[in-house]
Amino acid sequence: MTVQTTTGATNRPVITIKLASTSDELMQCYMLRAAVFIGEQACPYWEEYDGNDYSASHLMLYVDGEPAASMRVRWFAGFAKLERAVILKRYRSYGLFIPFVEWAKEFCRKKGYPKAYLHGQKRLWEIFERDGFYRVGETFHFSDHEYGAFVCDLEVDEKTQPTVLTDPMVLNRPEDRLEQQGILEDSMSRGASCPHAEWTERRA
Amino acid sequence: MSTIAQSISGVSVTVKLAMKMEDSLQAFAVRAACFIGEQDVPYSEEFDGHDFGATHIIAYAGDEPVGAVRVRWFKSFAMPERLAVIQRFRGNGIGQLLIDRCRKLAEQRGSNMLYTQSLPKDVAYWEKHGWRRLDAEETGTGAKKVVAMVAPVDPSTPLPEADEAPESVTLRREPQFDSTGLPMGSGNR
Repeated sequence: MTVQTTTGATNRPVITIKLASTSDELMQCYMLRAAVFIGEQACPYWEEYDGNDYSASHLMLYVDGEPAASMRVRWFAGFAKLERAVILKRYRSYGLFIPFVEWAKEFCRKKGYPKAYLHGQKRLWEIFERDGFYRVGETFHFSDHEYGAFVCDLEVDEKTQPTVLTDPMVLNRPEDRLEQQGILEDSMSRGASCPHAEWTERRA
Repeated sequence: MSTIAQSISGVSVTVKLAMKMEDSLQAFAVRAACFIGEQDVPYSEEFDGHDFGATHIIAYAGDEPVGAVRVRWFKSFAMPERLAVIQRFRGNGIGQLLIDRCRKLAEQRGSNMLYTQSLPKDVAYWEKHGWRRLDAEETGTGAKKVVAMVAPVDPSTPLPEADEAPESVTLRREPQFDSTGLPMGSGNR
């Protein structure tokens, strides 16, 4: 689920999508948003970095290794909210948006979320409607744009979605690679030696 | 010298050095907005591996980060670069406010020369503010042409006219020996 590679003609760019999992990748995500929202759309800094970045998951898309697009996902009880989606200007003719949103929806679905939800700028409504989203509620506006709320129903697989009865070591895996063994499973061969420092040492 | 605003529409303009992670992110965000968003510079060129050996200075209008500059430190000079002001705040002298803070910082550190690399179209801006070309030639090719510019840290003590070129000459288009992964082959564009 981590990497999608375009195959076929040799000079086609390699597209990679992943969950941002290092501080470098987070930095790339924030900088793409600064470029597009602050640089192109004149969004004030404190509206762009609204305090929700550290309770969210961030998705990164790379074109030949260069950061090209990002999206933020926040997790509510019954739905996942896709937001802050940007594609750098120079990559906008690559047709990245739909595959990126599809990847995000698949990511949410595999985590067991039955709905993806987003606030779409009015000029983009048609694109969302073509991509399986339907509008809910009234329009509203913030940060100088008019928005509509959209929902896309996701078909959660009852058998594979994570629950409290899922193998604990599966729940410990990187969230965009739940089907692959993770680093903590590798640690199991070390056994449970409980390597705490002694109380006296801990207080020294 | 242009007038430097201490306030824009009643909002005060302040300058500070980046001290915390959030400060650095603000400086980086201003640069991303200007260089990646407006000028279409690739991410990997804008964030070139020198950001963590440099000092970052940020300008605020109220609590909004609106400008930034990075200063790199060399033995014989200080190098302000990546000077950026958010588009709608331009024309208020914020760039000079940032450069002046660089100058004062360089002074405190005992540096007597500022050095920068300007795009050919910006040379007039620097000259207006007391900088001069280090040599007549531009270096680099095509869109990558830059002009080396210098200014004295103490305006009352001009730099000697006779150029003993600083090590800066070897600096231009310096290969990034710390970063192995620059993918863009940027010299070719």
